[in-house]
Amino acid sequence: MAKLLDKQRYKCALGAMQSVQAIERALPILHSGPGCAQKLSESTGSSGYFSPNIFPCTSINEKDVVFGGVKKLNSTIKNALKVVDADLYVVLTGCIPEIVGDDSSEVVSRFTDGEKPVIYAPTAGFKGNNFKGHEQVIDAIVEQYLEKSETKQKGLVNIWADVPYQDLFWLGNIRELEKLIKEIGLTPNTIFGYKRGIDNINKIPEAEFNLLVSPWVGLGSMKKMERKLGIPYLHYKTLPIGATETSKFLREIGKFAGVADEKIEAVIKEHEDYYYYLIERYADLFLENRVINKQFTVVADAQYTLGITKFLVNDLGLVPAKQFVVDDTPKNYREQIAEEFKNLNYGIEAEVSFETDGYKIHEEIQNHDYHGYPLVLGGYYEKEVTESLKGNFLNVSWPVQDKVVFDSFYVGYAGGIRLIEDIYTVAVSRFN
Amino acid sequence: MAYLVAIGSSDGENIDLKFGEVDHFLIYKVSGKEFTLLESRVIEENEDYTESNICRTAECNSEGCSGNGHGCGGSAGVTQKVERIADCRCVLCAKVGFQAQKQFERKAISVFDIACNITEALEKIANYYDKIDNHKSLRQG
Repeated sequence: MAKLLDKQRYKCALGAMQSVQAIERALPILHSGPGCAQKLSESTGSSGYFSPNIFPCTSINEKDVVFGGVKKLNSTIKNALKVVDADLYVVLTGCIPEIVGDDSSEVVSRFTDGEKPVIYAPTAGFKGNNFKGHEQVIDAIVEQYLEKSETKQKGLVNIWADVPYQDLFWLGNIRELEKLIKEIGLTPNTIFGYKRGIDNINKIPEAEFNLLVSPWVGLGSMKKMERKLGIPYLHYKTLPIGATETSKFLREIGKFAGVADEKIEAVIKEHEDYYYYLIERYADLFLENRVINKQFTVVADAQYTLGITKFLVNDLGLVPAKQFVVDDTPKNYREQIAEEFKNLNYGIEAEVSFETDGYKIHEEIQNHDYHGYPLVLGGYYEKEVTESLKGNFLNVSWPVQDKVVFDSFYVGYAGGIRLIEDIYTVAVSRFN
Repeated sequence: MAYLVAIGSSDGENIDLKFGEVDHFLIYKVSGKEFTLLESRVIEENEDYTESNICRTAECNSEGCSGNGHGCGGSAGVTQKVERIADCRCVLCAKVGFQAQKQFERKAISVFDIACNITEALEKIANYYDKIDNHKSLRQG
């Protein structure tokens, strides 16, 4: 029987048009029905030089279903190249052309000898969600655009994190990761956001290694780059939030990249000193046990559920209730991600559930004894259920309705402080 | 269930006429994946309308509407033509203007503006509707 999914937390694979949009001067060309981009583009912060409303689209209709849409795709690509000035054109296919069997890759291959790069990523909705679509876009860049480099640039590191726009803090997070990597003496290279774009894509093959900061998203692309471009990768599963995890993170990268211990420790000390200075100043707030909730639940994609759980346990000393990963993590990654939830300080282990059905999640939240009011960090869907339990709610994951984020971030030492600020702002407002 | 398909063709072999150029539609009856030519349905000229059509009078030398020598006939002409094939499930012409497309849409008649061989087109159309009517996937192969 068909299954209904309540409160879905992701989009279809074509949502990867947002990953393309996050690359400056890269243009998605959609081979899809006319409503797809509209439906997928509701995130804020997506206007600019290119925005979903002007993405070239074949707008296929019934005629193309019956007679095929390759001609239209050909003319759409041809004319996009003529009238839209971009550095990289990424053709993305929706479900309809892939179901009826349009040979889109053949059409795209007609443009490979042109002046500007045109690549193709199959992102039909039935192939997976936008986390998968994001991987398809990176894979397309690696497979169809990049070539192996004979020369390597000393200390150059490609940094990969979670999915732009799907992750509210994508821009701030990746900039902060760059900053941390720079401080330990390496040179970061990322492709998303302001002033990165095609120049940085071109630098990818020259990197000494890839750094993937995500529980699972993009791991396939790392393996692909290892095979094709000969770039080894370091898979760091936990998004480092706060001092405990960020220091661990820097030490592990230092070890992998062969950075001197003294250098790493000096950077860590400087950050930790300031971090704990701030914590100390607010110790009275932390020690006032009526302010903050005893137990918490995170409902988010794997990176935030894991990252925030570790942070709240290790740095803030809170007790985890059940945690929910809602990004439909592929089954083969689940076990090792669940293991990470057992790897917390003070011998604490968190129970985690890979659940995409919002109804079931809310039922579990309602039935759990939080020993007082719950603290729930999740998508906007969790606001109502948290309020019904008189708990404290913070919107950290998609969908986001009650906050605007430009380049704020939760990663690193500074990010941890931001998260404490946000949580305690919610907590203290209860007493106003 | 059998249904009718209207086709704009000058030679009975290829879909080569624009909607505005058609003076008789070939009406095919499709049943499952079989199709047969049922009739050639002539579109009668509406006298009242022809005389009131400014584009066809001597004062107007505009090449716009009648550039191809047949004229689009304006909205009244379109309505009449659409009415003549209102019993069809879809219409196949080399090109169909916006006016006409909208009017067909209102009657839930599908428009396929495609120039190709009639047999080839009907095979594809029959296959498509057969799958839709029987709730079969459109997936190829």
